Amino acid sequence: MTDCGCDKAKAELEEFLHRELSESDLQDIQEHLDNCEDCSTEHLVGLTLIQKVQRACQEKAPDELRASILAALDA
Amino acid sequence: MLVLETPTHTVASALPGIDSTPMADTARPELDPDELRRLFAEQAIPYMDQLYAAAMRMTRNPADAGDLVQETYTKAFGAFGGFEQGTNLKAWLYRILTNTYINSYRKNQRSPYQGTLDELEDWQLGSAESLTQHRTTRSAEAEAIDHLPDSDVKEALQSIPEDFRLAVYLADVEGFAYQEIADIMKTPVGTVMSRLHRGRRLLRERLAEYARERGYTVADTPSRSTR
Repeated sequence: MTDCGCDKAKAELEEFLHRELSESDLQDIQEHLDNCEDCSTEHLVGLTLIQKVQRACQEKAPDELRASILAALDA
Repeated sequence: MLVLETPTHTVASALPGIDSTPMADTARPELDPDELRRLFAEQAIPYMDQLYAAAMRMTRNPADAGDLVQETYTKAFGAFGGFEQGTNLKAWLYRILTNTYINSYRKNQRSPYQGTLDELEDWQLGSAESLTQHRTTRSAEAEAIDHLPDSDVKEALQSIPEDFRLAVYLADVEGFAYQEIADIMKTPVGTVMSRLHRGRRLLRERLAEYARERGYTVADTPSRSTR
């Protein structure tokens, strides 16, 4: 039915991961991923990378910084 | 208390460029200063941790990151009267942060080749072909990446060229859309995509290296991980 193969999935995997495709392209690729182990593994690596970076980059602004910014607001 | 009548200017025009020329929209109804301050505290202050995290990835040290965030809030508050309520405040704040960083901080540390980075070929960036060669071990790769400590991820991120790093950060950590990143970085969407793709590829290679150094099996074993 669908002509969405590995080439298309691989080419657009980044855009798929970042939800930057049309609904129908998203669907095509999702369908392909469901049926292709190779591409779905590649997708998993991409997803892991995103989650990893998200987690590693969490920071909390130091209290002194917060205090000084709030103080400047009220000045 | 709520939104004023919709002003016609765009978000971009509300941005303090280097330093703001008075906006052309002085005719729009003014919020009184107390109300403005209250709105700002309520809407913009909650982004402080996120902005600080981004500033840390930009400047790479807490002192500069703190200064950068402070300066960003000062500018943002100064321009907040021109911010169009209901539009994307987070993107607006990131645009100010990025602008400020580029104008005041990056100058000092910019290395000569960076201006032409986007034109470099992949091989010139030291990007290997390794990703396509070891398809059998990719599930092991995902697993290995997943086991790396946060410090490795930050270090790997720090090691990739700045424009790429920023694109990766804005897309993957902040979840901005390509168009929003293009606005923040003042560059065409095509450039954003290219920076993001290349940045993520470099990051992935770097992390695979770390994983190997730590003895996780990536790409060196013929089949499944045996560890």
